[in-house]
Amino acid sequence: MKNIYIFLYFFCVFVVAENYKPFESTYEPLPPTNTIFRNANIYDGEGNELNNTDLIIKDGKIVAIGVDLPSSIDLIEVDASGKWITPGIIDIHSHMGVYPAPSVRTSSDGNEATSPVTAEVWAEHSIWVQDPQYALALKGGVTTFHVLPGSANLIGGRGVTAKNLQRNTINSMKFPDAPHSLKMACGENPKRVYGNRGQMPSTRMGNAAGYRKSWIKAQGYLSKLDEYEAKSDEAKELSYKPTRDLELETLAGVLRDEILVHNHCYRADEMATMIEIAKEFNYKITAFHHAVEAYKVADLLAENNICAALWADWWGFKHEAYDMVQANIAIVDQARNGTGCAIVHSDDEIGIQHLNVEAAKALSAGIKAGYDISKARAINWITSNPAKAAGIYNQTGSLKVGKNADVVLWSKNPFSIYALAEKVYIDGAIAFDRSSGLEPSSDFDVGIINPSKNRIEE
Amino acid sequence: MIKNKLLLTLIILTSNSVFLESSNLVIKNAEIYDGIENNPYQGHILINDGVVTKISKTSVPYADKVYDAKGKIITPGFIAPDTQLGIVEIGALNVTRDDEASIYNIGFSIHDAFNPNSVLIPWNRANGITSAITLPRNTSSPIGGLGSFFLLDSNLDISSEADIVMIGRFGGSGSSSRAETLALIDDMLSFAASLDKKDMSSDDSIDEVIDDSSIASHMDFKPRDVKALYRLINDNLPLIIKAHRASDIIKLIELKNNYKLNLIIMGAQEASLVTDEIVKNSIPLIVNPINNIPNSFDELASNINMTPMLEKAGATLMFNVSRSHNYHLIRQGAGVAVANGMSYGGAIKALTSNVAKTFNLNNRGSIKVGNMADIVVWEADPLEPSSMPEKVFINGVDTDLTTRSTRLRDRYIRDLEKPNTYRN
Repeated sequence: MKNIYIFLYFFCVFVVAENYKPFESTYEPLPPTNTIFRNANIYDGEGNELNNTDLIIKDGKIVAIGVDLPSSIDLIEVDASGKWITPGIIDIHSHMGVYPAPSVRTSSDGNEATSPVTAEVWAEHSIWVQDPQYALALKGGVTTFHVLPGSANLIGGRGVTAKNLQRNTINSMKFPDAPHSLKMACGENPKRVYGNRGQMPSTRMGNAAGYRKSWIKAQGYLSKLDEYEAKSDEAKELSYKPTRDLELETLAGVLRDEILVHNHCYRADEMATMIEIAKEFNYKITAFHHAVEAYKVADLLAENNICAALWADWWGFKHEAYDMVQANIAIVDQARNGTGCAIVHSDDEIGIQHLNVEAAKALSAGIKAGYDISKARAINWITSNPAKAAGIYNQTGSLKVGKNADVVLWSKNPFSIYALAEKVYIDGAIAFDRSSGLEPSSDFDVGIINPSKNRIEE
Repeated sequence: MIKNKLLLTLIILTSNSVFLESSNLVIKNAEIYDGIENNPYQGHILINDGVVTKISKTSVPYADKVYDAKGKIITPGFIAPDTQLGIVEIGALNVTRDDEASIYNIGFSIHDAFNPNSVLIPWNRANGITSAITLPRNTSSPIGGLGSFFLLDSNLDISSEADIVMIGRFGGSGSSSRAETLALIDDMLSFAASLDKKDMSSDDSIDEVIDDSSIASHMDFKPRDVKALYRLINDNLPLIIKAHRASDIIKLIELKNNYKLNLIIMGAQEASLVTDEIVKNSIPLIVNPINNIPNSFDELASNINMTPMLEKAGATLMFNVSRSHNYHLIRQGAGVAVANGMSYGGAIKALTSNVAKTFNLNNRGSIKVGNMADIVVWEADPLEPSSMPEKVFINGVDTDLTTRSTRLRDRYIRDLEKPNTYRN
């Protein structure tokens, strides 16, 4: 009898251990704020501008867009005449939580700069959920953000996509069903960090060799896994499952198209090299990040369906960022008859609050370069394009019926510096309301200057 | 015929001279934000030899050259008060940096390192910045290092005002207590206040004073350092101290009053907690209106509403940016301040005349008769980052708005049938 209990105990532990998938999203939206917006001007994130249009959000979803939509008793009516609505903004390159504010050594957890390949680390395990920066980004209209490890390493680890609804665990902020990403980095950073320690890589050719060596290891691991998984159940019992390897699991996930590659890379020639390596090992690069020289290879990026996530104008802080062209984003967007994928990213705690203005600068530069680009298209740079690059476009990133109601109501045209996000909805629930004063504050903000007030309460 | 000959001779004579090219110009029909008044007015500006000589609200003054700015806003050229223009080309490349010294501290001047051919200069000029104050990096001394004013006209014959400001810093350092920093600054100023003209008569006499002072000896002062300190006390040399915490700002105000310093506080992320003290003691501030990040434990009160609040309280404001190279983004910061409640005219002054007044740049920063004609004609609203200058006049000269950036752009969107290296 006793033996049976022991057996059952081990059986349960075994089964649970085999089936438990750690770090799954436990996100729950706030209670829905079912709303009809009347007479709004809308950029829908699909390239359309709709004027004097109504929008209904209900039970977390976008339910209807059209003129003179019928209201119902359960809808709050918001007069949006003269105002603008866009999809919630998505930042594809954020370090919120891994480089939180205040910027202090004890919580700067974005770079595991101890080895050039750390594919085994996950950014979500560094994220500090009490970072006061999330709420600031929310007031700038950001509803979703993608956090990456830093760029010290050739392969820096997994990134994570999160809802901008601050919670006290990261799992409860994780975007449901969003794929993981993998951060890779070209150029000066890895070769500087490791070269200074007298170890490989100390050159760009060292960088390239480093990636390739890793992918060869990953291929070997993957073929062992495939071999095992192809076996019949009986054969599996007679053989050992390959021992788990966190580093190679991540890389194998890329080779199986389950994990999206986000590659920090400034120089055009290095992007071309990275595309060669991706072809050699048969994986896909989802986006190049920072890519100050993307305009030099815009066609190559478009042909290979690679997005470029870019700043509107930051440059010059290092040699590989010297050839800045303000029309970079527009040139990428317009490549191969407008099939390019351009994204405006922040990589910055201030920039993330003003991605609409960053897009405005990029658009203005594109128009000056002679391109005919509409604002309705340019809004894609901060909505649907980053949604695609994060692998969540089926859920968010544009105002399509059935998608998540991630919505921003702007006081003015969002391409103006004077536009302020008035109301921000995440999954159809109001998360920030400028007029009522509804806004989240992190535990960090509580009583830290004046015990009876929050940090920036007046 | 004679007239034509004369004209031809004139053209030949003047073809290399910007001076004559600009000798006589009227900018007409402009909506003028002059940097003095809060509201704009319609007018015509006559420029002779680089100087504004007449502003007419009625008839258009006669000039050889006429620029019609109808429907356009014009402002004084913006002056960036906190830059590394001309002394840092590429941040992470030390061989292109001239912002640090290894021997001198307090008296270290960056003036002679300025490179008017830096690619940052046309880039910032094309975005509306006509002049700037270039500051060194902090030295090992809590106060020290001298900044200079430069005109961004890309002329090898540099127009500048050398060593117009000293910099310093005060706050949490991670190495020693801010109380020690304050005591050290106090000792240095006390030493400076003890100096008289005789002490300063020669380097030898300065060396003697250094030998007699424990703080000067301990800090290993050189005569250059002592001369700079002397100017703080005796010449009203502006002193920019970077500080944030409310209690630190109060301490600096005490220091200002003890030594009658011409103090400017930079950063000042907690200024909203000590607004009254700042205004009462007439401390100009250099702030970044877009920075609302509590980036350190000294900056917990960082708040997007700070700049508008300070303006309402009557503070004198100037703007800086938190990242390198794009110093022109002070106008984006100004736009954010206006979006959050600052007055438009106040924001323009923060970009122009407030800098000129604070740093005694007497003939710049506003459009008025007698001032140098540093004038920008804007396509549209200058505080919208998407609107760009159409014309930038510096000393009345219509400057080139081509940048390396626009050249690189054109290489990749024009003449695409040629290999890129054979394009223009």
